[in-house]
Amino acid sequence: MKLTATNMEIRIGRKDIVKRVSVQVQEKQFVGLIGPNGCGKSTLLKGIYKSLTPHGGEVFLDGMNVLRTPEKKVSQKLGVVGQFNEMHFDLTVHQMVLLGRTPHKKMLEPDNGSDREIVDEALRRTNLLGYKDRSFLSLSGGEKQRVVLARTIAQQPEFMILDEPTNHLDVRYQIEILSCVKNLGIGVLAALHDLEMAAHYCDYLYAVKDGEVYAHGRPEDVLTPENIEEIYEVKCQTYINPITNHLAFAYNL
Amino acid sequence: MFSIVFCTKLRYHFNHANDNHYHIAGYIQRVGGKKVSAQEAVLQGAQTRKARAAGFYTVFIAGLIVLILLSAVFSVSIGQVHVPFGQAMKILLHALTGGRLGSLEQVDNASFVNIVMQVRMPRVVFALLIGIGLSLCGAVMQAVVQNPLADPYILGISSGASLGATFAILVGFGSGTILSQFGVASAAFIGATVTALGVLLLSSIGGRATSVKLVLSGVVVGSMCGSFSSLITYFANDAEGIKSVTFWMMGSLGSASWGKVPVMAGVVLAGSLLFLLQHRILNTMLLGDESAVTLGINLSLYRKLYMAGAALVTGTMVAYAGMIGFVGLIIPHIVRGMFGADHKRLMPASLLLGSLFLIWADILSRTLVHNVELPIGIITSVIGSPVFIYMIIKKGYNFGG
Repeated sequence: MKLTATNMEIRIGRKDIVKRVSVQVQEKQFVGLIGPNGCGKSTLLKGIYKSLTPHGGEVFLDGMNVLRTPEKKVSQKLGVVGQFNEMHFDLTVHQMVLLGRTPHKKMLEPDNGSDREIVDEALRRTNLLGYKDRSFLSLSGGEKQRVVLARTIAQQPEFMILDEPTNHLDVRYQIEILSCVKNLGIGVLAALHDLEMAAHYCDYLYAVKDGEVYAHGRPEDVLTPENIEEIYEVKCQTYINPITNHLAFAYNL
Repeated sequence: MFSIVFCTKLRYHFNHANDNHYHIAGYIQRVGGKKVSAQEAVLQGAQTRKARAAGFYTVFIAGLIVLILLSAVFSVSIGQVHVPFGQAMKILLHALTGGRLGSLEQVDNASFVNIVMQVRMPRVVFALLIGIGLSLCGAVMQAVVQNPLADPYILGISSGASLGATFAILVGFGSGTILSQFGVASAAFIGATVTALGVLLLSSIGGRATSVKLVLSGVVVGSMCGSFSSLITYFANDAEGIKSVTFWMMGSLGSASWGKVPVMAGVVLAGSLLFLLQHRILNTMLLGDESAVTLGINLSLYRKLYMAGAALVTGTMVAYAGMIGFVGLIIPHIVRGMFGADHKRLMPASLLLGSLFLIWADILSRTLVHNVELPIGIITSVIGSPVFIYMIIKKGYNFGG
């Protein structure tokens, strides 16, 4: 699915957090959103997936006007992996992932065999099959995030939004999660904080600074030393890592 | 136990066999055929465990129903006039089947039928319904405000009902007005629903009704109603009235009668049916607002609807039986400790356990002290607190989080 968000404006209190930002994700493209803390990445994403109501702008998923469509309809097409998942009551991993089927269920419709197959497939993809009966709250941060990803996969979305999905995670979990999402082969819009990961996984990047798009383009065009210096306010040199052959960064104050 | 150890070992094995493979999606294909079957074994082990758990749940539910029926018969057989258990059973069977089963010929005393059917039965039905209603509203409220400390009386409902009852008992509505026809029950019901409405409105100010806003509005409105009740009590020159206010606040099933059963049964059973079918949305509530929206559920709306529904049920119960504490708080927690927080299982088990608990609390309240009927609210708290403490200390139950 193709996502188009145009002229998004979001205020929190009196402060303009997102100022007329437009982003576009083509069919099956993995698009990254980078920028320092507080630049408005998360707020923009929340505006797109209807957690916040934007003060201006439009969001389209193919032909569907996201901001004017009921939540249930949107959630059948759009899956979201958020930053925090704080809970006060415990569910098992299987029950958590089964909740991903909610958008496709009518009010009183019970879960059937095909739902369970979809859930098993999602657990398999996230390498969580052995965790089915574990309690969610007893899991580590990386495992919890994988459960949330599995829930989103079970939702069978045609487009996925990720809000710093690898925050606080060790490098192995970061790679696991991003690879898993990349392999789904659907359109993805992801806020990322690790530039090397962004360079490696994204087909296209939007760099956000102070609520505006500062630069956009292919990763190697956006992630230049000059741009990074301007966006993150650090001195930076880029080089090709001789072992991985990927773009790498060296920072200094 | 064995299968858990087995799983852990397998996982360990997997992780180390695949240190060089990072990509999860291609993971299964890359591991050799032998290990795939090992992983399937883990899956099958999990399924057998699950089947066993489901079996235990069914047995538990069936056991509860049998216990409730037996306890109900026991409850109508005891009291100042002792009706033998067998005869009580026959009387009930006779009444329930319209005379086709259970003959009344072997009943020793003709007055037994009257005592059982007219005096004691309404009370047992009340205990059963209120037990269901309290645990229902407790479980719903805990999900609605995402707080394990919630009970049916949170959000100011108890203080509102008390204010209504206090006003009706100590001030009254004056003779000749329309309101004078309403008794304490109606006043309590009105107090409960008006405060619940106030709390809902207050928490909706400025957009979404979040759980924090709901709890805080409940505390504010509740303390306001509480202080008005205290003011009325302070200026009241009516020792008898103050005593009846106190007694009302401790909860009692003494006012039960067949005349009140239809309303109570209608409200409680309608509420139960409604919420039993809402387990999916109740589960989504546990995830919090942010995740619920991404699953297509607008929690703010459902919170208000559920709260209004629970407030109506609670208001009706409070009006007829006063405040019976602890049931709505502990019963859902006990069931969560046994079967987890999935509302599909939590709700039916809570409702049944709640009604069994209240039937026995009522039996105790009538028999503990000879010839004196203790307020049932005292019994539920006296039993409830130690159970709660036991759960904290012994079972390692962390109250949902």
